[in-house]
Amino acid sequence: MIERPAVRVQSLRKAFDVPVRQPGLKASIGALFKRETREVVAVDELNFEVGAGEVVGFLGPNGAGKTTSLKMLAGLLHPTSGTAEVLGFTPWQRQPAYLRKMALIMGNRNQLQWDLPVLDSFELVRSIYRLPRQQFTDTRDEMIALLELGALVDKPVRNLSLGERMKAEIAGALLHLPAVLFLDEPTIGLDITMQKRIRTFVAEYNRKQGATVLLTSHYMADVQALCKRVIVIDHGTVLFDGGLQRLADEFGSTKTIVARLDVADGEKLDTYGRSATNRGDGTWSIQVTRSEVAEVTGRLLAEQAVVDLTIEDPPIEDVIERVFSRGSTPA
Amino acid sequence: MTRPSPGWRDPDRAGSLRLAALFFRVGAQNELQYRLNFVVQLLQSILGVAAGLVGLAVVFAHTNNLGGWSRPQLLVVMGIFLMMNGITQAFIQPSMNLLIADIQKGTLDFPLTKPVDAQVLVSVRSVDIWQAADSLIGLIIVIVGLVQQDVAVHLVDIVSFVLLMLMGTVTIYCFWLMLASTAFWLIKTDEMQELFQGLYRTGQYPVGIYPGWLRYGITFVVPLAFAITVPAEALTGRLEHLALVGAAGLTLALLVISRLLWRKGLQRYGGASS
Repeated sequence: MIERPAVRVQSLRKAFDVPVRQPGLKASIGALFKRETREVVAVDELNFEVGAGEVVGFLGPNGAGKTTSLKMLAGLLHPTSGTAEVLGFTPWQRQPAYLRKMALIMGNRNQLQWDLPVLDSFELVRSIYRLPRQQFTDTRDEMIALLELGALVDKPVRNLSLGERMKAEIAGALLHLPAVLFLDEPTIGLDITMQKRIRTFVAEYNRKQGATVLLTSHYMADVQALCKRVIVIDHGTVLFDGGLQRLADEFGSTKTIVARLDVADGEKLDTYGRSATNRGDGTWSIQVTRSEVAEVTGRLLAEQAVVDLTIEDPPIEDVIERVFSRGSTPA
Repeated sequence: MTRPSPGWRDPDRAGSLRLAALFFRVGAQNELQYRLNFVVQLLQSILGVAAGLVGLAVVFAHTNNLGGWSRPQLLVVMGIFLMMNGITQAFIQPSMNLLIADIQKGTLDFPLTKPVDAQVLVSVRSVDIWQAADSLIGLIIVIVGLVQQDVAVHLVDIVSFVLLMLMGTVTIYCFWLMLASTAFWLIKTDEMQELFQGLYRTGQYPVGIYPGWLRYGITFVVPLAFAITVPAEALTGRLEHLALVGAAGLTLALLVISRLLWRKGLQRYGGASS
């Protein structure tokens, strides 16, 4: 049996009417009577599918339409046109049966009760989702253990640090064990340790519950650690959809050859590749185009006393940047 | 495109009251820790009452009767005014202020992603339990007024009174929800609370004493009459059965209208961020 995709988006489009205001008093008064609006297209002709249990990174610069897309999938926004189906539901109908299986977590937002201790907030979540007591207690205690929330749950949310609050938020949002998860910048503003902890937890949740996860993040470490597949969007359309490795292969036009030479201050290697920098200690990193890799490596090995040599992909950030620059100026 | 299914067809609708009760209980329990707040609030209430009593004293220095209401009966009105004020400030206003802020900031996302009626959720999110101190003092003043007036109060009057107070609470809730829902269209709604308080203060006296246009205003535009004067009528032997029916009808109508407005606003809500 072919499994039905968990998320299926077809020709999804969302345009907002934004009032246009001309400068000047006269124009402002005129606007009182006849309001001019301009259509801003946030999402345009979006098409993709996500299989059940997949973790997909949703990448794009600010204003690319990531959050708008997630909000439509979470049922908060009606699209201007197009269709989307999540777990067989149309999200913006907001059927309770769908909302029960879905969770939206936004890194800079707070959905726990600000003044209440975390445990009380969890209790309210239990009643909202009508979770059976035993199941709720088990899940809750497991999350508290996994996220090391033990010492925090008695404190009011407002007394928690940003990282602590995010951990509590995530636990609270997952108490009903959703089958599909929309994470919008879940690690924004957190320190490295906390980012790691949350990453590990999301991976663990995905593995244990078989949940489908759609994630946006500006931290490529999040994406690399969690997502085998990425969807890159800009100006509301998909620029790339595929594996991270393929992304690097397709768009990363350069590679870096790192060579360590026998002699500490050997001759300059500027003549190899496009540019070479001395990292000190006899180690050089040489930028080459993809097609040059074999030739330059061969020359290096033949002409220099190479002790060690590795070939690296460019950092994913650079690759993504290239995708965007290509998207805006068609090659 | 399909529209969200109306809440009254949701299977979870029956759980609304249960949910509201739980939210209020948890919120109240939490606030009970801060006992100092109670003392402060009580002092504030007493100051408010003192000001009100001075006002009454000024009026009755000149006359024994205000629009047919004797001095003890006006005490009853003032007491009910305070009771309602306490209920509003403790249970209605905090959530409504939160709602307005969420609409303005475009952060009204999470209540909409929960499998319960969003209206219920946004209406119970916050309580400010110590504000209910006003209700306590109000009740005392009502009792003082009742003892002093020379009209006998029967059980049926008390039952009517309780019913009318419930309807009055719902009326004020609906009014607040409509006020808050305007935030879906208007950008500057910071003065909502002041606006409401200003209007509400007119409820300190029976609507009958106001000139015609104002009377209609606070009866039908801002249905304060039904929230304060009509319950007072039940306790002072002047309630007509028709008023009871009218109050019930108005309460129901407001429930429907405010819900429609809320839903209309929700449809408009697009989230301020992209």
